[in-house]
Amino acid sequence: MGRRAPCRAGLRTRPVSADTEIGPTMLADMNTLTLLAPRWWALKNSCRVGDRRALVKAAALLAITLGFWLGIFIIFKRVLHYFQGVEELGDLLAYKLLSMVFLTFFGLLVFSNVLVSLNTFFLSRDLATLHATPVSLGELFAARFVETLLESSWMVLLFGIPIFAAYGLTYAAAAGYYLGLVSVIVPYLTIAAAMGVSITMCLVQTLPAQRTRDILLLLSILLAILLYFLFRFMRPERLVDPDAFTSVVAYFRALSAPSSPYLPSTWATEAVWPLLRPSVSSSAFYQGFIWTTAAAAVVACAAVTLATYPHGWSKSQEAGRLVVGRLLGRLNVRIKRRRQGGSQVGALMSKDFKTFFRDNTQWSQLLLIGALVVVYLYNYSVLPLDRARMPTFYLQNLISFLNMGLAGFVLAAIGARFVFPAVSAEGFSFWIMQTSPLSLQRILWSKFFFYLGPLLLLGLVLAIASNAFLGVSPFMRWLTPITVFSMVFGITALGIGMGAAFPSFKAENLAQVATGFGGLLYMILAMSFIALVIVLEAGPVYALFMAHVRRYPLGISQWIYIGGSLALVALVNVTAVWLPMRYGLRRLARYEEG
Amino acid sequence: MIHVENLTKRFHRVTAVDGVSFQVTPGEIYGFLGPNGAGKTTTIKMLAGVLRPTSGRIVIDGVDLERDPIAVKRRLGFVPDRPFLYEKLTGLEFMSFMADLYRLNGPGRDERIQRFLDLFELAEWGRELVGSYSHGMRQRLIMSAALLHGPRVFIVDEPMVGLDPKGARLIKNIFRKLKSSGLTVFMSTHTLAIAEELCDRIGIIHRGKLLAEGTVAELRELAGQADSPLESVFLRLTGAGPEGAEEIDFL
Repeated sequence: MGRRAPCRAGLRTRPVSADTEIGPTMLADMNTLTLLAPRWWALKNSCRVGDRRALVKAAALLAITLGFWLGIFIIFKRVLHYFQGVEELGDLLAYKLLSMVFLTFFGLLVFSNVLVSLNTFFLSRDLATLHATPVSLGELFAARFVETLLESSWMVLLFGIPIFAAYGLTYAAAAGYYLGLVSVIVPYLTIAAAMGVSITMCLVQTLPAQRTRDILLLLSILLAILLYFLFRFMRPERLVDPDAFTSVVAYFRALSAPSSPYLPSTWATEAVWPLLRPSVSSSAFYQGFIWTTAAAAVVACAAVTLATYPHGWSKSQEAGRLVVGRLLGRLNVRIKRRRQGGSQVGALMSKDFKTFFRDNTQWSQLLLIGALVVVYLYNYSVLPLDRARMPTFYLQNLISFLNMGLAGFVLAAIGARFVFPAVSAEGFSFWIMQTSPLSLQRILWSKFFFYLGPLLLLGLVLAIASNAFLGVSPFMRWLTPITVFSMVFGITALGIGMGAAFPSFKAENLAQVATGFGGLLYMILAMSFIALVIVLEAGPVYALFMAHVRRYPLGISQWIYIGGSLALVALVNVTAVWLPMRYGLRRLARYEEG
Repeated sequence: MIHVENLTKRFHRVTAVDGVSFQVTPGEIYGFLGPNGAGKTTTIKMLAGVLRPTSGRIVIDGVDLERDPIAVKRRLGFVPDRPFLYEKLTGLEFMSFMADLYRLNGPGRDERIQRFLDLFELAEWGRELVGSYSHGMRQRLIMSAALLHGPRVFIVDEPMVGLDPKGARLIKNIFRKLKSSGLTVFMSTHTLAIAEELCDRIGIIHRGKLLAEGTVAELRELAGQADSPLESVFLRLTGAGPEGAEEIDFL
């Protein structure tokens, strides 16, 4: 039920040879460029909409991107500069780094192409219309291939530019390097796209596209967690300390990346490296190799697509759900069924719970948070406190104090992903809330309490466990969890309030909701709130701590100072709850569909 | 039952609804007609409390919407033109959710939900996710949810969109039954035959203004087309041209 019938209309391998009068003229325009035109027009029109918020958003994104670029550029420039200072090994290290960059990019590109091509070839909403038009499968393939290539490559390309620029400037490369780089990157991206699209075509033969996307999303998250763990537990900070290695051989082993001759990343490295160090060898062989491979990959991909797409498209029309989300959602249903109805707020929370755990893109991100917590706590367990110049006792308590800010930051970031989009998650169904006899105030508070519990739990775990690893004094053992506990109320209220003030009910992907202007404002306010609490607590905590350590009594003026500061902290916490909730409520009450 | 006075809604420079006034009496089915972009949906959204009027007054069952929106919403059942629902809930869960929102508790609650699902021929699909429902099924689910709490006023925007003939007949029968039990229905539609068949009175809105109001016979008289179908009357009153005959010749 609810499954659409397989549609093969329009899935032809040759264009219609129409002999009516309107046929040929219309079909002449129906080529690959025509199919790509809507994307181009949409991009052009979105740039034309010039309201102030869009401009501010664009400026903020540009500033963040430039900052990110600059950051990557500086890091690579410094690393390469450091490598150049290492006698005899410098070039080898730079070469290895380049090959690792290409290898990482290739993995990301193939994965990204698989995900994007699932959308462009199977899930995109315009496909049903396109299949009803006289578009040949070849033309559709060409258009969608280009679209997939561009959509999945631009991000990697963007992050690659500062890296390659750092290489070029460090080695004072000539213009030939930059031209050669373009000549390598284009076929490199094409090979990844051809591989990604071909993998998708094969996957969709056995699994419905919707389920394939779910599984891939889950796999990508697990892969990210695995990489994250591997990277962290490898303790990369040791790489800058060669003395820690037993021998030069071990040092090299730690740096080595797989460089199989069959990997396109190896060909790309071999094609680019001679352009940086012209005396080494010629780039031409590998350039030729990478271009011919790209051409062959596109032909092979086209053949796979032409042979399998009609069947895959039919399969893609089947509905699919992952079992895990369904099972978790059932948990709540069973509890609910025991009662004859419930409260309005309870109904809202129950609905939020079910929709969260049935959305694979939502609940699966909890796995990432789990990994984040593990690594966060692991960092505290491996802190080399004994090697610091400061007495361990002071350092433990200082770090514990600063940990309140760090835990606050982690909670704010999680808030940005889950709490801020809570109101926007109502989506197009927001009309149900608007027309129900439930005040917006109760809706917002129900969402507040829905997210407060898990965030409180997480905050306490971060604070208590890291204190246990640090072995702090009893005073800090109490202070950190209490402060984090009280900050969670403000962080949650900021998320709900700002999310209500800047809702995005039309967002297709909730993960993108927080990337807008409102999300940016939420992060700035949350960070300011956390910083203010930490700054206000710093003075009194220091006074109390030193009085305890040096065993001297505090004077009346000091007690007044401590009391005043803590009262201010309490006031800031209360304000951080009250003000954003009120602001969000007012703005949401005035919300009208644009 | 519904009292609307000088209702106006402006979106920036555009006046979507311009000083509209009308009244609907208890147990009446009032049809709200108009060409595309006339202001029907904007008016309906204001009646349902989704949009706030720029000026004017809406009183439903004696309660001012501006003063006590929650009390008004308890008395209302609303069906929008586009059936957006929570895709990740099952039909049964959605009904249960709506029952809780409208505080429909007590021992008969679940039986009532089941009876409504049966009535709208959705019982078989109650445990399926709404995301897998067809357009017509969603439309029927929204209708059953909107009527679940026993509203006194039923506001429907395009009730027949997406329904098959069987579904459309079901809805017509339900409307007639609801009318006989004293429910007031305010509906907008483009299906003039439905309006003619079901509505006691009809209001025609065009470019934000209420052009005409009355029974079908009164509207015919107003248009000077005593024996014409409602379609001709409607086109005459809204000043539509001769259906673009020259342009059609191009085909």
